[in-house]
Amino acid sequence: MLDPTVITENLPLFLEGALMTLRVTAIAFVVGMTIGGIASVAILSSIAPLRWLAAAYVAVMRGTPFIVLLFLIHYGLPAMGVRLPALVNGTVALSLFAGAYYTEIIRACVKALPKGQWESARAIGMSPVAAARDIIIPQILGPMVPPVVNCTMTMIKESSVLSTITVAELTFAGLVVQGETFAPFEVFITVALIYWAITAAFAFGAALFERRLAGANRNRLMTPLVARYLLLDGGRT
Amino acid sequence: MKFDFDYVLSSLPRVSDAAMVNLRIAILAFCLALIGGTALTLVRSLKIAPLNGLIAVCLSFIRGTPILIQIFLIYYGLPAATGLRLPPEIAGITAIALNSSFFISEIMRGSLPEIDGGQIEASTALGLSPGVIWRKVILPQLFRRISPMLINEGTVIVKGTALLSVITVVEALRVSQQIGAAKFRPFEPILAAAAMFLIINLALTAGGLLLERRFAREGR
Amino acid sequence: MTQTALEAINLIRRFGETRALDEVYFTIPKGQVVSLVGPSGCGKSTLLRTLLWLEPPDDGFVKVGDRYLGKDLSPEGLVRRQSGREIDRIRPRIGMVYQSLNLWPHLTVEQNVTRPQIRVARRRPEDARDKAQALLDRLQIAQLSDRYPGEISGGQKQRVAIARALAMDPEIMLFDEPTSALDPELVGEVLSLLREFADGGMTMMVVTHELAFARDVASRLMFMDHGRIVADGDPNTVISSRKNARVAEFFDRVQAFHPDFRNPHQRRQR
Repeated sequence: MLDPTVITENLPLFLEGALMTLRVTAIAFVVGMTIGGIASVAILSSIAPLRWLAAAYVAVMRGTPFIVLLFLIHYGLPAMGVRLPALVNGTVALSLFAGAYYTEIIRACVKALPKGQWESARAIGMSPVAAARDIIIPQILGPMVPPVVNCTMTMIKESSVLSTITVAELTFAGLVVQGETFAPFEVFITVALIYWAITAAFAFGAALFERRLAGANRNRLMTPLVARYLLLDGGRT
Repeated sequence: MKFDFDYVLSSLPRVSDAAMVNLRIAILAFCLALIGGTALTLVRSLKIAPLNGLIAVCLSFIRGTPILIQIFLIYYGLPAATGLRLPPEIAGITAIALNSSFFISEIMRGSLPEIDGGQIEASTALGLSPGVIWRKVILPQLFRRISPMLINEGTVIVKGTALLSVITVVEALRVSQQIGAAKFRPFEPILAAAAMFLIINLALTAGGLLLERRFAREGR
Repeated sequence: MTQTALEAINLIRRFGETRALDEVYFTIPKGQVVSLVGPSGCGKSTLLRTLLWLEPPDDGFVKVGDRYLGKDLSPEGLVRRQSGREIDRIRPRIGMVYQSLNLWPHLTVEQNVTRPQIRVARRRPEDARDKAQALLDRLQIAQLSDRYPGEISGGQKQRVAIARALAMDPEIMLFDEPTSALDPELVGEVLSLLREFADGGMTMMVVTHELAFARDVASRLMFMDHGRIVADGDPNTVISSRKNARVAEFFDRVQAFHPDFRNPHQRRQR
């Protein structure tokens, strides 16, 4: 009943799509982390308007379905006279979306530190930048890994929605192949398995990374363990 | 092109009517997921190794693949593989409920150890059957404990309903696209749809906070 | 004329209706050991945070050595708010040892002591290390240089926190309840360390519940209540004074629990 030729003949197409999925997510990770860094500073700052602005950004991103945000940007930018390829629009949308979740993660990790950490650094004369760089950031990097991994895995999955604006990523490849072969079951199972493999590999790699990070600093409490990730702890967005 | 706020307002009535479809789907899917999640948790508590292994693999699959693909598998894949063709809305509800069942089961499993084991021992000593213990002792406490996470799961489900526009379910996003297509200006109606989703989710979150506060007060 | 180490001038801090600091004035000359005593919630913590300008007061000035901290007051009476950078430069002249110590757990003991020297005082790493080693040696914890704070005992941690502050060559050391977070058997050790510092001529202000320390080691006792310094002077005089009802009541209660408190010499004779 299953027709393996559907998969084998279109494998290059699937792999190309998977590569695009990875590329888009990687960019969204970098841009999103940058946004997250900036927005979390705003959210933790003592300047109320900045705090509100950042909080509103996070609330809107978290309260709206990604597909709706994607359409808002994909149709909104041209309406404002900014015409960009679908790939760019999609990457922008995913970055903004990811940024909100990274903001939440960074904020939570900073909040989890004892307040005295920041204060003792400032009291001894460190500038805010020095206190952040020398005292706060090194301490949140470890705890940030598991939630950031979760969140990034979610972004890999969310990037499938970019297929709706014709970005040629994995899901789109699936839709194209299914349009040609009319074998939706084979196609979508294949696509699903590729996603599964990507997220599993990613989680596995992250667990190794976390273990190494923990090894470099025995002093820090870590909760790594590959086993935990073998069951793919996909975050919820 | 200038942003036309009146256009947003004029598309709101139709979009908000359609948002009721999202709400209906979400509520239905949530109830099913709650039942499914509880059932999965109960089955897992029996500790039948092959069954739990199977569930673990399914869980990993559900978590490791996009929900959009899961929707496609049920809407497009299922009929091709089994001949069972579900209407779009039913397929969507099935996919979302199935997906959420596993996540809810994970939430429940995560909070299970927080429940005082002494109570269960005492109930067993009193001669209560496992079924009664689950129904009267464990589950009520568990649901209370996980209610904030269930609210979060609810918002995820509400957001998931927007994806059903892709399989032609006439919900808020799809209606907003239809309006946009008719007027050759897609942006403003989508903004109306975004507002609807945001309102539903903010209300849900606010309700969750109220609930949490009440529980916290009662707990004392 | 003796030099001034720390001066508080008319510090006022309001939280809504209540005044956490109510016209606080004091001058601590170099070499003096002051204990700050008062019931909990009297404003001691706020005072410490305000002295460091971590919580700027609604009014008033702080002077460290010959420099204002936070706000400048020129001889002509002009007030000028200092920039963040200026504040950062003056802050380390007050050495603060927190009750919770607030060591940086991701840095080794030595790094805890060298990092502020390098970042704030701009010392060369090797100079900072020499200074750290000398201090750790003096505090008898040189062997712990490469350990992390999580791996050493509470008393050792406290010495690290002291070394960290001392490394910045402060005009004055502030101790926030140095004994209250420690195991009871360590209290004596810390008190004798503080006594050693006092004998060595270190300027100190110690917020404390250890009244024996306030009485026997400190040369001056400030009593704080409702955001005000209500009594200030020689410890024995303050303890036996009946001028202020709150102070008298406080020490009466102490006396009730420790009958020899007001007159320790009697105990020795017995």
